[in-house]
Amino acid sequence: MQRIFWLAWRDLVLEFRGRTGLLSAVFFLAVMLFILAMAFGPNPQDLRKAAPGVLWVALAFAGSLLAGRAFGLEVEDGTLDDLLLTPGSREWIYFGKLLFQFALMLLVGVVLLSLAAGLFYLPLQHWGWYLVVLLLGSLGYAAISTFYAGMLARLRGREVLLPLLLFPLVIPVVLAAVRFTQGLAEGVPVAELLDWLRLLLVFDVIYVTVCAMVFPYMLEG
Amino acid sequence: MQLARSNQINRLDGLTLGLLGLGGVGAVVGFILAMGSPPDQSQGFVARIFHMHVPTAWMAYLASFGALGYSVAYLVRRKAHHDRVAAAVVEVGLIFMALALITGMLWARPTWGVYWDWEPRLTTTAILFAIYVGYVVVRGAIEDPELRAKAAAGVAILGSINVPISYMSVKWWRSLHQTQSIDLTTGKINVDAAILIPMLVNLAAFTLLFIGLVRLRAIIAAREAAREEA
Repeated sequence: MQRIFWLAWRDLVLEFRGRTGLLSAVFFLAVMLFILAMAFGPNPQDLRKAAPGVLWVALAFAGSLLAGRAFGLEVEDGTLDDLLLTPGSREWIYFGKLLFQFALMLLVGVVLLSLAAGLFYLPLQHWGWYLVVLLLGSLGYAAISTFYAGMLARLRGREVLLPLLLFPLVIPVVLAAVRFTQGLAEGVPVAELLDWLRLLLVFDVIYVTVCAMVFPYMLEG
Repeated sequence: MQLARSNQINRLDGLTLGLLGLGGVGAVVGFILAMGSPPDQSQGFVARIFHMHVPTAWMAYLASFGALGYSVAYLVRRKAHHDRVAAAVVEVGLIFMALALITGMLWARPTWGVYWDWEPRLTTTAILFAIYVGYVVVRGAIEDPELRAKAAAGVAILGSINVPISYMSVKWWRSLHQTQSIDLTTGKINVDAAILIPMLVNLAAFTLLFIGLVRLRAIIAAREAAREEA
């Protein structure tokens, strides 16, 4: 259990010391939101309507950019084999990497949310609920992106393959999160939107469990 | 011993040919029956595409179950045979998914007025199609047979689990479709017998064709693998 946190902590420390990866992802997102805001026009109503979709699509792109980070350094430095040689079951590698991805996505998500609030006039009165949907959505997304990043870690052409595999699978996450966010932005009572959160929760539970079960098979060899 | 066993898997056996032959004949009979079925009250003769659309769509989902089953079997048992069958199921399933999507679009145009509509089943099939295209691409990208088999099994398992979830999510998002012909949850049949019988004949024929094609594809894959080893 403890080494899950140590693995995630080590990756986070490396990520923050390296800076380039995270910073470039955040700036990429900022530029992307800026261009999208221009595309949807200066009319505040149009922007507010587009905000939830833009927010989650941008986060999905950021997630696919960040997913490669989880295993990229391990493969470059040849430390993946060291991880694999550690005695004990292998699920903990998955959980450690998942925690790392999850933390990164949350961080980027909060930055994105504030950017979207600024550029797209997304009302933030219910900020607590935004955080909840961000938590559940990022977890579901990270569960799959971590799995595929680990699976494709040693492959050439993984940068293209990863989004190809990832995006069709996370459609339910993006759909549910966008709908929930949209409802919040339009002032729909939260009680009517809880079904979307339930869907996200079910998705998270199923995928974290299944990915953790299958992941050890993917790493051998 | 090894050679003898691989030969056994490689052989184009009577069962495969029988399935393909019976399926082919059944598809022809089903087509004739479908052409003889009475036109729909509101849709007219256009509704006959139903006899093609429903069986192909069912095969698409059968493929998703098959891919899941054989992929899990591969991860548990580690027999190359299971991996080859899973790949064959996905490839043949992709063809049926494409057919289901095309017939669905052709049917949608005269009845709904548009080629594409964000209807749950149509959208789920499209998502499934994208997932299995990813499966085929991943198989093409990995050269090591064992690694390829494992990665492919992972993709197939995650993809098949996704079907009910994406179906529910799109269903809540938006809905417009004919009621299901046979409601699987209650067993209620929503179709007239004159239409149901040709549909069932078509369904049986397509199922036989599907299994036959999968067997044929798996035999070809086994031969390819045997040649690579030799």
